[in-house]
Amino acid sequence: MRDRHEGANMGKENVVLRVENLEKRFGGLVATDDASFEVERGTITGLIGPNGAGKSTIFNLISGFYEPDGGRVEVNGIDVTGRKPYEVADAGLIRTFQTPRKLEGMTVREAMLVGPREQPGESFVKLFTDPEGVASAESANLAEAQRILEEFEIDHLATQPATDISGGQMKLVELARAMLADPEILLLDEPVAGVNPTLRNDLAEQIRRLNEQGTTFCIIEHDMEFVMKLADPVVVLNQGNVLMEGPPEAVQSDERVIDAYLGGDA
Amino acid sequence: MSWLTDPAGEFADLTRAEQGVTLFVVAFAIYLLFGLLRGTLDPTYFMFLLGLASMYALLSLGLNSQWGFTGLINFSVAAFFGIGAYGTALMTASSSPIAGGFNPIVGLVVALVVAAVIAVAIGIPTLRLRADYLAIASLGLAEVIRRIVLNEQGLTNGSAGVRGIPSFFEGWPVLATFPQSMPETTIDPVPGGSVTVAEPVFGIGFTVGQEIVLRTPFWRALLNVSLVFVFLGVSYGVLRRVHRSPWGRVLRTIRADEDLARALGKDTYSFKMQSFVLGSLVMALAGVFYAHLNLYVSPGDLDPITTFYVWVAVILGGSGSNRGALFGGFVVVAIREGTRFLNQISLSLDLGATEVVFSFEGLGGPMRLLLIGLIIVVLMRFRPEGLLPPQRELIWPGTVDEVPEGPDVGVREARGGSDE
Ligand SMILES: Nc1ncnc2c1ncn2[C@@H]1O[C@H](COP(=O)(O)OP(=O)(O)OP(=O)(O)O)[C@@H](O)[C@H]1O
Ligand SMILES: [Mg+2]
Repeated sequence: MRDRHEGANMGKENVVLRVENLEKRFGGLVATDDASFEVERGTITGLIGPNGAGKSTIFNLISGFYEPDGGRVEVNGIDVTGRKPYEVADAGLIRTFQTPRKLEGMTVREAMLVGPREQPGESFVKLFTDPEGVASAESANLAEAQRILEEFEIDHLATQPATDISGGQMKLVELARAMLADPEILLLDEPVAGVNPTLRNDLAEQIRRLNEQGTTFCIIEHDMEFVMKLADPVVVLNQGNVLMEGPPEAVQSDERVIDAYLGGDA
Repeated sequence: MSWLTDPAGEFADLTRAEQGVTLFVVAFAIYLLFGLLRGTLDPTYFMFLLGLASMYALLSLGLNSQWGFTGLINFSVAAFFGIGAYGTALMTASSSPIAGGFNPIVGLVVALVVAAVIAVAIGIPTLRLRADYLAIASLGLAEVIRRIVLNEQGLTNGSAGVRGIPSFFEGWPVLATFPQSMPETTIDPVPGGSVTVAEPVFGIGFTVGQEIVLRTPFWRALLNVSLVFVFLGVSYGVLRRVHRSPWGRVLRTIRADEDLARALGKDTYSFKMQSFVLGSLVMALAGVFYAHLNLYVSPGDLDPITTFYVWVAVILGGSGSNRGALFGGFVVVAIREGTRFLNQISLSLDLGATEVVFSFEGLGGPMRLLLIGLIIVVLMRFRPEGLLPPQRELIWPGTVDEVPEGPDVGVREARGGSDE
């Protein structure tokens, strides 16, 4: 069975994220089984696979939410295996979640302001020793949040309660907020699941624009049209292991991929 | 615009809930004032009540900065209160089995340091885990600390308690002898004798104007109230500032969804620890005040009922809101002390041959719990967010200049003068 898994292309030039022989077991269930792949700087790399293939688990392992049972994760050449999520974020990697996360009791722009990293106002002491510094950073962050909301064409939502906007709008806000953290690589887990076609196109456009401005993306998505339009290369995961990697056309016509999706044993 | 120049305008700007609370507070203040004028409320007792209410407000502020800000479930409020009380008592009291005789300032510092150390010690194993672990551990901690205080005679005097605690201002210039040095002052609210406002029929009319005599106990109580007001003012000022800061925003994110805060690169463990220690310090501060108010502490002061009252206060006031906690603390004391008077009420009906007497004697305690239970049920049904929930948007003051539209909660950042 494994011999049909040819794996990903390793040994790329300029790598932002490298995953090597990653393993994760939940009791008897092997969710990630010797998975390896690389994300090259400046790309939008797709990560696809049937339900339960272990895609979200890999994101959790990379971003420090799960502790791997084996293998190695490197971000920007820094070994972050088994590190805390904030340490992985320090290395330049930010992730979003499959299910949108709403912030109760906050307005949209307030929820956006959680995004920026290393705010002086996040230090308890500086609130009293340097209130001017805190205020000026807050003003700058707010202006930046406003600017990104405008770019995303959702600035009219800025003062709405974050719990009152639609799921699709929430996905946009999440992407916008993640950008405020100024990541080098952004991991998106099913960014368009449950999003209507218009917003879906908006999201695709935004991702492409941000990518052109220099952010590297790694995107899990079940919507094949969305992935094939946006991503190159596409990595296919099946049963916790990398089945193959290639340009979208090659992946779409690959027999093993079709088998995997039809529930056959690849 | 301000409350001084344009009270009506300010009042109209408040949300319905704020208006209600303001009216209630004003009405209650007037009621107490009449009590004072009629002579039914002793001024010294009134000062004691004010001190007690402020103490509960401090405890509520402490719990609010753990549960309300961050969502940390702490069932050891009474323990941190006790650590504060015993911390300063053991350092300053004449009967202290370990140290004793130190200046109360030393007692204050030691109490706060011990509270911080214990908060960190309980936080290290539990704050990395899911929220429920802290809840369970804090429940255990409360009991462990109570048992230690009760059984370690060599350390705490056990069930005998610690006597001979000096007043907080002992050894200070002027303030140490202030209560004794103040002359006996007589206040005559209505010069030239008392005035009967209405005939005291059906208990509605009343007489005002008896002379009020202020003696040493009153001045001592006044000094204590000033002390707790300083504690309360400083705590409230600090908590208010941090709550609407980026630091507070991370805490509120953790409360709503900790994984989200982690994914955005926040070291949530560190933030939770800071929030937990901060709240524990404010609780210990309440304990320090209590020890120097009562001048005696005993293991009974660590009874878990205090934790219960403080949770009620925070939930009643509105989790996450500092002024809600303040208000909740006062209301809980009003209920606690108000129900004491039930014992004194008796109603007699003359039904011709037989006279029926209804007496509330002995009902104060059960009525108190019943009343609190009722309030919680009604609150959960009609206003689960509490009476004064936090403002809808909290951004560092001076940064935003537009008012978010929206009908519901009052957001008044525009003038930068709002609470929370
Ligand atoms: N925390 C967990 N505990 C136990 N099993 C888990 C856990 N997380 C994931 N799994 C299991 O690991 C396997 C891979 O799950 P994962 O969520 O990574 O799949 P996925 O590829 O993201 O699927 P989907 O497309 O449905 O989101 C599944 O069988 C899942 O049930
Ligand atoms: Mg998934």
